[in-house]
Formats: sequence, C-alpha cells, structure tokens
Amino acid sequence: MRLIRSEFLKIRTTNVWWLFALGAIGLLVLAFAINALNMHFGVLQPPAEAGQQMDPESAAALAALAEPVALTSYMVTSGQYFGLMFVMLLGIITVTNEFHHQTATTTFLATPHRTSVILAKAAAGSIFGLVLWLVTTALTVPATAIFLNAEGVTPMLGDGDVIRAVLLNGLAYALWALIGIGIGVLIRSQIGATITAMVVYTVGTVAVSIIINVLTNLLDWDWLADVQWAMPSLASGLMTSGTSLPGQPDYWVGALVLVGWAVVTGLVGTLLTRSRDVS
Amino acid sequence: MGNVITDGEIVVSGLTKHYKQVKAVDGLSFTIQPGRVTGFLGPNGAGKTTTLRMILNLVSPTAGTATIGGSRYADLAEPLHAVGAVLEASSAHKGRTGRNHLRVVCAAAGLPDSRADEALELVGLTPAAKRKFKGYSLGMRQRLGIAAAMLGDPRVLILDEPANGLDPEGIRWMRDLLQKLAGEGRTILVSSHLLSEMELLADDVVIIAAGRLVAQGTVAEVIGKAGTAGTVRVRTPHPDTLLGALDGIGSSHGDDGALLLTGVTAEQVGDAALRAGVAIHELVTERPDLERVFLDLTAGKEAIR
Repeated sequence: MRLIRSEFLKIRTTNVWWLFALGAIGLLVLAFAINALNMHFGVLQPPAEAGQQMDPESAAALAALAEPVALTSYMVTSGQYFGLMFVMLLGIITVTNEFHHQTATTTFLATPHRTSVILAKAAAGSIFGLVLWLVTTALTVPATAIFLNAEGVTPMLGDGDVIRAVLLNGLAYALWALIGIGIGVLIRSQIGATITAMVVYTVGTVAVSIIINVLTNLLDWDWLADVQWAMPSLASGLMTSGTSLPGQPDYWVGALVLVGWAVVTGLVGTLLTRSRDVS
Repeated sequence: MGNVITDGEIVVSGLTKHYKQVKAVDGLSFTIQPGRVTGFLGPNGAGKTTTLRMILNLVSPTAGTATIGGSRYADLAEPLHAVGAVLEASSAHKGRTGRNHLRVVCAAAGLPDSRADEALELVGLTPAAKRKFKGYSLGMRQRLGIAAAMLGDPRVLILDEPANGLDPEGIRWMRDLLQKLAGEGRTILVSSHLLSEMELLADDVVIIAAGRLVAQGTVAEVIGKAGTAGTVRVRTPHPDTLLGALDGIGSSHGDDGALLLTGVTAEQVGDAALRAGVAIHELVTERPDLERVFLDLTAGKEAIR
C-alpha cells in the first residue's frame, strides 16, 4: 500500500500528469465533435447517392450503428482513442523516468523486491487511468444525451449493453497503463519508448488495418480480416462497441485480447526488471 | 521474519561479477567493522562501484555473497532503516523539489513525511527544500543524496565517491558528519579515489585493483605492511663522513643535496653524527603517505581490462 502511495506521489509531484490529463480532455472534446459530425452526416442521414452505391455488408453495418444502443455506446466512449494513448504514455513515463533521472537506484534501494515496485506502478498507473476515465465519462454522458436528443434519437444511457460498454471502457483505461509499463521496461530510453509507442499506436494501427484489408481482398481469406482485432488499440474499440456490429467479433473477444496484451507486457516487464542490473 | 540489524558488519565473501568479457570484480572478500569509517579505495575502473552495487542488490553477482549484519540486502525487512546509500550525485527527477523527492522515498519506506524535513535540516538544505532539483548545484545534489540515505536513521551508511562535486568546505562538512556518525557506532563505508581525503577521514581502508583485494587494515597497518619503509632525510655539510659513520646504510641524494636514508631511525642518524662530529642542518623522518602506498600497491593493475 505504501508503495502505491509512493508511486502516486511520484506522478503527482511532477508536471506530466496534468499536462497529459489536459491533453486527453482537449482531444476528447475534439474526438466527440468529430464523432458527432460523423454520426450526423454519415450514419443518421447517409447521403442518398452513397447509400445506392454501398455494398450490402457496409450498409448493414451502418444500419446497425444507427441503432440507439450502438449509437449511445459509440458516443459515450468518445475520446477513448487518445485517452488510452495518454494512459499508455503515462505508464511508459513512470518506468522510463526512473532510468532517465537515475532514480531507479533510490527506488530499488527502498524496495529491493522489484516485483512489488512494478505492481505498485501498475496500480498507480491504473488509478490514474480510471480517474481519467471517470472525468471523461462525466463529460461524455451529458454531451451524448444532448447530442442524441438534438438528433431526435432517444439516448439509451440506462441500457445494459451501454453500461457494459462504459464499464469496459474503464477497464481499457486501467489496462493500458499496464501495457505502457511493459513498453517502458522494454525500451528504457524515454524518448525512444514514447515515440515508438505513439507511432505504433497511431500509424501502426491504421497500417495493420490497411495491410490486412488489402491482403484479405487479394487472397480472399476472410479469416484474415479478424486478425486485425489482435491489435490492442482496435480490440479496445471493439470491447466498447455496445452491440455486436455485423462483420465484427463480439465485445468479449476485444476484452480478452486486451487483457492478454496487458498480462503479457506486464509479465515480460516484471521478469526483465527483476533480472536487470541497475547501474 | 524481520531482519533487524543488531551489528552493522558488512561481510563480502568471494564476490565476483563477470560482464561479457570483463571480470569487473574477481573473488573479492573483506569485512567492514561498525563504529569506524572505512575507505574503499582503488583506481578508476577497479570495480568499486560494481562491488557497492552488488552489496546493495542492485547488480546481481556472478558468484559470492555480500551480507549486512548477517542478511543479504534483499532479505532486509526494512532496508532503509538498516542501510543508507549515496550512489550517484544526480539521482532525482529534475522537475521535483528536493523535499518531494525525499517524501517519495519516505512513502516507500513507510516513514512519516516529517522525516524528509528532518533530513533536509541535517544536511543544511532546508532553505532549498521547495526548489526543483534541476536548480540544485552539484554540492546540493550530493547533500540531498546524503539526506535520502539518512531518512531511515540507518546503522550502516554506504557512499560512492561522495566528495565528487563538493567544494573544500563541503568536503570538510562531510568528513565531520561521517566521523560523527561513525562515533555513534554506525558502519561507514566510503569509496573514493581521492587518497589525501581518505587519509584524513578513514580509520580503515580496503584497497582493490583490477577487481581484486590488494590490501585491507587500518591506515597505519596498510602503510606499514606495504614495505615502503620510512625515510630519514638529513642535510649536512659533510655527507661522506656521516655515511661512513653510519656504516654503509643505503642512501640517495635528494634534489636539494640532502641525503635520504632508509633502514635507520632519525635517532641512529643523530647519534652517529654526534660520534663523528658532523654538523646536522636538518633531520626529518618522512612517513610514507597513503598515496605513495596506494600507487605502489596498484601499480600496473589499472590497465584497462
């Protein structure tokens, strides 16, 4: 417990946490606005000519997304993409700071049991993630209600599937801290780790999606399309989609993939930390 | 089980660290006694820092053990209450204040925040408590390191090159502090390559070179054992007469025309001069200093391995 307090104090006594929180909330506003425009023009009032040319699969997906439950889940978990990235970056920084500022020595002198240190970092990072999720959700719930009412759709905020999506969104915020910590252990350089993680998270997600889609179409292997859900960022979105959309696996697949990633990166990080010489 | 340190003896036994090609530390064994300041000496690259880090469980040994009060560092229930360590000067987050840095350590060690203020007071950093670490001078950083080491009021204090970056006043302050702490019965182990400083500070010395033990004992013992015998320096207008009276004792001429004699005491030289009726203008015993001994002992071993 005192280790978690110590790790939390480390986060709280530097500027990073509020810069990240500010960044995450700023991008949340942006993401919500983009999502709202997208829903308004793309889903709720699809242009007639676009609807004509659309293949039946995409049209079905659009129609499913227009359902109030899916729509509410989608809007209320807005900002997830950047929010998770900031939680991951915070996780990375809690580890790489120790090497960047050479405080690992002090930390491991106070606590020779390094597994406990990683666990405390995971707990503190996850708490930060959960707090960010709470703030985010507190903003998106009323905004979603206002937006959907304005669109003439009844917001389904009390629906079981929506609540599940919101809670799983919280789980995603907590788990990404763990993924960040694992990355931080693997790549000790602060700049190296943050830049690598950001590029993989943003460009990498899109690139994998495109490559897999191209390959799927070229080779006509339908199963290949499901491989993209192994990307943790896409799995996070899948997990919070509320209802199952056509052409997508169920939400729990996303949850399992994400838990898997967090466990693997956390374990690898812990094992490396235990055996590594600190000098 | 709680491993409360009853005596603060540090025992290093067969400690070895091999990096890929290099034997950084090679079968090192020594014992450090409580209530004394022990200087841990060696040329740069001798393996001092690696040894200290192995004692503190930061680097895992290839072979051998190191215990503090009978326990390995990793087995100490409350390590900061048992051992304080100052390992590198710049070891705090640049954007964190000195006081918050100490509070983070207090939290991890289960100590109250008030200990942070007490430790700052002890090292004279109270006025800079709320300043960020990046604004600290090298000397202030070293003091903050000592404050962090003293948070748990430990029986054992281990310092790696603590004099680095300190001005003469700071070095004097640190010497007084460490001697006071040793006087309270604590074990003080200080590594350094600054020999003149160690001669003033240390009661005992452990000298290593190329990862191996070269000498261990009190400062006087090590100087005595090293075989660098005392030299008697004498100036006289009639050196040949005096040498004749001394019956073939080895001599050499100093740069200012003085005789440097080995294997005799100043008393013997004085008596011989009286018997021979030779005037003496200067008669001094030159004790070898730690620096000379150190250079003799480690000569040829500091080559890069």
